[in-house]
Amino acid sequence: MQRWLLSLLFGLIAGGLAGLFIGWEVAPTEYINSSMTDLAERYQQEYTVMVAEGYLLDGDAQGAVDRLRVLGVANVPLHVQEVTEVFITNSRNIDDTRKLVALSEGLGRLTPLMEPFRELRPLRGNP
Amino acid sequence: MSERPIETHDSGAHIAPKSQRYSRPRRLFSWWGLLFGLGIGLAAGLFYAWNIAPVQEFDTAPHQLRAEDKANYAVAVMLSYAYDSDLNEAINRLSALDLGLDPIQAVADIACDLARTGYVDSSAGIRAIRSMRTFYQLQGRAGCADELVPDVSVVLEATVVVPTNTPTLPPPPTKTPTPDAPTPTEAGVVIVPTTPPRRDFEGRPNNTFCDVELSGLIEVFVYDFDGEGLPGEQVRARWDDGEDLFVTGLKPERGPAYADFEMEPGRAYTLDMPGLSDPIRPPLVADRCITENGQEAITSYRVVFRRTG
Repeated sequence: MQRWLLSLLFGLIAGGLAGLFIGWEVAPTEYINSSMTDLAERYQQEYTVMVAEGYLLDGDAQGAVDRLRVLGVANVPLHVQEVTEVFITNSRNIDDTRKLVALSEGLGRLTPLMEPFRELRPLRGNP
Repeated sequence: MSERPIETHDSGAHIAPKSQRYSRPRRLFSWWGLLFGLGIGLAAGLFYAWNIAPVQEFDTAPHQLRAEDKANYAVAVMLSYAYDSDLNEAINRLSALDLGLDPIQAVADIACDLARTGYVDSSAGIRAIRSMRTFYQLQGRAGCADELVPDVSVVLEATVVVPTNTPTLPPPPTKTPTPDAPTPTEAGVVIVPTTPPRRDFEGRPNNTFCDVELSGLIEVFVYDFDGEGLPGEQVRARWDDGEDLFVTGLKPERGPAYADFEMEPGRAYTLDMPGLSDPIRPPLVADRCITENGQEAITSYRVVFRRTG
């Protein structure tokens, strides 16, 4: 009986550890129905670039702010400035950087760091 | 535990014991106990890892978003497409959203849903839905946004009409002496240039395709800033010893922005909008291609001209 209980205990420990490994590493919980606020940083940056492209098409700064508000950032212009400066300091795609600089400028956040990338303007003014 | 002596037959041959039950050494573990423990432990570990203390949510991908935020993300993808006309990139991004088997029709459905809400109360919302509509209509899809969102732009800007040069007769000579030096312009007078602003378009090949029925076709789409199709725009195709002009909007079933041109096999063509755009580089070559069904055809191109200034 003691031999059986020892085996059971050993099995419980080994099985428990295996279960934790599988549950946390191999097949962790995948969340669905997530909010934009939980979006991975790279996708948030990609989203910001896409909104900047929309801004370059229509020059609608308020529309861009409304679209970026879904990211749950408290200060949208500051968020755009930070993303832009991350792109500049990390030497990310130059075209994307220019688009972000244009949006940042449109939101009144043009910093000296952005000046060399200030090339694009919205195709038309704010309606 | 004592070992059972091996029985020996009279002939001297060894005879195996009738039962070896007590001759085996006892195992250190009970297999049944071990397996039972493993099963229970595994189940308990998984339950704890998945339900009680799951991994914290991080690195959320677009496909994990809820429907409302997938729509927001799809709108941004469409704005990006309206900006650069990069169909492949747009499709890749939509695929990352996991919108179903037909992501383009899903865009039409999202546009339809948005068109039924207060999303269209703002001009930004209307423009976004128009961008989506342009995208899915070009891919042969349809949705209720086609009817719900008007084609005609709501003009919010003041339109400035710049007078053009009108030829007039020279004024009759008078006795008023003409000063030799030009009169200085008074301060505060704004000189408005009378030359109408030049319209510039930027063209780029969007993608190629291989189709027996559309063999060797250049499909051209001409758009305004906001993705509105522009009918009546001239597009020129030039080849080594000739050129041809064709006009958008002559095939209404393909939309006002559409025009096409049939290439001859083996020739290279340069496309532009005369006086309005630079020629598209590199030239479009009418090479042979093989369709998915293994049939031979001529490569076809899809080219987009978009007003840029």
